[in-house]
Amino acid sequence: MTAIDWAWFPDHIGDMTTLTLDHLSIAVPAVLSGLVIALPLAVVAHRVRKLRGLILGASNVLFTVPSLAFFVLLLPVTGLTRGTAITGLTIYTLVVLIRNTVEGLDSVPAHAREASLAMGSRPLRTLLTVELPLALPVIMAGVRVATVMTISLVSVASYIGYGGLGQLFTDGFQRSYTTPVIAGVLLTLLLALLADAVLVAVQYLCTPWARHRTKEA
Amino acid sequence: MPNVPRPHRRTVLAGLFAAATVPALAACSSGVTSLKEGDAGGAGAADSGAGLVVGTANFTENQILGHLYAEALRGTGVKATVKPSLGSREIVVPALEGGDIDLLPEYQGNLLLHFDKKAEETQAGELQNALAATLPESLEVLPYAAAEDKDVFVVTRATARKYGLKSYADLREADGELVFGGPAEDKTRVVGLVGFRERYDVTFKEFKALDASGPLVKGALKKGDVDIANLFSTDADIIKNDWVVLTDPEHMVPAQHVVPVVRSAVADAPVRKALARLGALLTTDELSTLNKRVDVDRKDPDDVAADWAAKAGLTKN
Amino acid sequence: MLQLLSDLVHWLTSSAQWSGPGGITARLLEHIQYSLLATLAGAVLALPLGLFIGHTRRFAFLAINLAGFGRALPTVGLVTLVFLAGGLSMWPVYVALIALAVPVIVTNTYAGMTAVDPDVTDAARGVGMTGFQVLWQIELPLALPLVMTGLRLAMIQVVSTATIAAYVSFGGLGRYIFDGLAQRDLVQVLGGALLVAALAVLLDLAMAGVQRSLFRHRPADAS
Repeated sequence: MTAIDWAWFPDHIGDMTTLTLDHLSIAVPAVLSGLVIALPLAVVAHRVRKLRGLILGASNVLFTVPSLAFFVLLLPVTGLTRGTAITGLTIYTLVVLIRNTVEGLDSVPAHAREASLAMGSRPLRTLLTVELPLALPVIMAGVRVATVMTISLVSVASYIGYGGLGQLFTDGFQRSYTTPVIAGVLLTLLLALLADAVLVAVQYLCTPWARHRTKEA
Repeated sequence: MPNVPRPHRRTVLAGLFAAATVPALAACSSGVTSLKEGDAGGAGAADSGAGLVVGTANFTENQILGHLYAEALRGTGVKATVKPSLGSREIVVPALEGGDIDLLPEYQGNLLLHFDKKAEETQAGELQNALAATLPESLEVLPYAAAEDKDVFVVTRATARKYGLKSYADLREADGELVFGGPAEDKTRVVGLVGFRERYDVTFKEFKALDASGPLVKGALKKGDVDIANLFSTDADIIKNDWVVLTDPEHMVPAQHVVPVVRSAVADAPVRKALARLGALLTTDELSTLNKRVDVDRKDPDDVAADWAAKAGLTKN
Repeated sequence: MLQLLSDLVHWLTSSAQWSGPGGITARLLEHIQYSLLATLAGAVLALPLGLFIGHTRRFAFLAINLAGFGRALPTVGLVTLVFLAGGLSMWPVYVALIALAVPVIVTNTYAGMTAVDPDVTDAARGVGMTGFQVLWQIELPLALPLVMTGLRLAMIQVVSTATIAAYVSFGGLGRYIFDGLAQRDLVQVLGGALLVAALAVLLDLAMAGVQRSLFRHRPADAS
């Protein structure tokens, strides 16, 4: 029962591919949606002292709610669809994304912002062209953590039929069949590793000034 | 004054934000992120070119049935896709009502009890009528198959011998002594603790929420963590482990013929014809064999279903 | 919606709900037991590892990447694997929870150790302290704030995830989520979810309070 059935792998390459793509089709929108929501919230938390605690606190509390509960509670609202899984997972990314964006913005030297404003840029332009780029390393660190975490959490949505590679876990569980479970775990890890590497590359491409700095150091 | 970097990559960043927003919003709406051929989420799935969406519950027999339905439908020229293992009945039936799926293989008795906890019908014919009357407007049941899969409560041969158990009524001899294992919903339903108390005047020492004829409850029965387990009559493990299926003289468990539940809006003539053909050919023995092929021989449900459908002549088109 | 909320308040406040083997008190205690044991076991495994790597700076890549690996490991998969391998017991739950706690504690312990000013350790070695004495008397006390942060983060994640015990038939607050779903009782699901969140938040506040009082004289370290 616990021996691996090696014949399973070549027989299921198609399934593994489909499930991996399925998995990504849930994880990627979740992280992107998280960013869309987190960035403005983080800017507010950074700028408005009073709301900072509230926003960070609220996202912290949301994070402690078990993910399965979110999916189940969303069912009457969003139906048994991919969107339910994506919405639940988006909520989980918020904690990391908001926190890292706030920290990133905090780390931007004040004089950089002031100089930009002094040169006539409006606050929004300063935000987009000076602060966020400078905060990018810390923000990207958050995106990486959120992405890896989301890729792992997608499998919980197998409880409502949208678990991507997590469907392999339910399949193996139902039939007491270890092989698909092992395949699912390995593929999930691989996917997370790949996603992380891609994000590192993206960060490298988007922060050319950081490259020069490492050259000097 | 240190160099303030003015990245001309702001266009890259602006592009990134735009790129982030558009697919994120688009992806949250139904259908755009579908990568499986014909996989379309959301209401009106049948209209989007994916054909009928057959949903299945989270146990292998239901998945086999779902794939059989799809094969039969394709045999009469109806496009069909299967969304396997969507969850338990509590999840999939509302999904059917909501239009996220179009067709679901179900079991008469439990389906009726899902909509009417107080239903008393136990015979296949009367169940079919009761279902037709009780189901919401948007759904209907098609003729039931010959195959039946009932909830059964089994004990090990040793336990049966110890208390002289042949039927559920005999459990009175062991009242309050046995540990009961079954899915969580057994605690509050007639096909479960409530039924045992009301029909047979039997209570149990402890209730363990495990699963419905799944690895948890079967493992527990094997290990002795539970004495009596809620299994499905077509489960191959019953014979394999020499477990004793107790009889049901008071008809606590209603008939459970396999019956297709479908959204009326998509139940046109080819659909009915296809499923009627399947229902006539599928017997309990055939279903048990298919279960064995998936659970014991470790073949995939879709392959097993395709094989059987081809041999039964359902897929000739 | 309003009906749901009032039902929920009723569920949370009725005294019957809190008593008995399936009551909130019992489930809370089970949940705390799983969480504490798992976090403790995780700490027992992770602290020496983190301290060792932090002190010797060998295998640093492990400490840095372990958190990523732990984050990527799907809990459901791990629970299923251990269940299939070993049958029905609490092992699948504990293995999965410990696997969740260890990377967080290792990474934070390592971070704490590397944050120690190298001049201090140099000076310590200069006055003749052995490696172990440096670790125990200098590095660990200085690293303690981050070590505690690691324990705190691990605890929160474990509390949140300990709901999986109910997936394999055991108790804890997850029982309300799974049973609520099976019995189509949304109030139960909501109640269970809220209780888990409340427990996690309370524990977080408590541990933060402990951290603050321990490091009162080091305001820069207290988080």
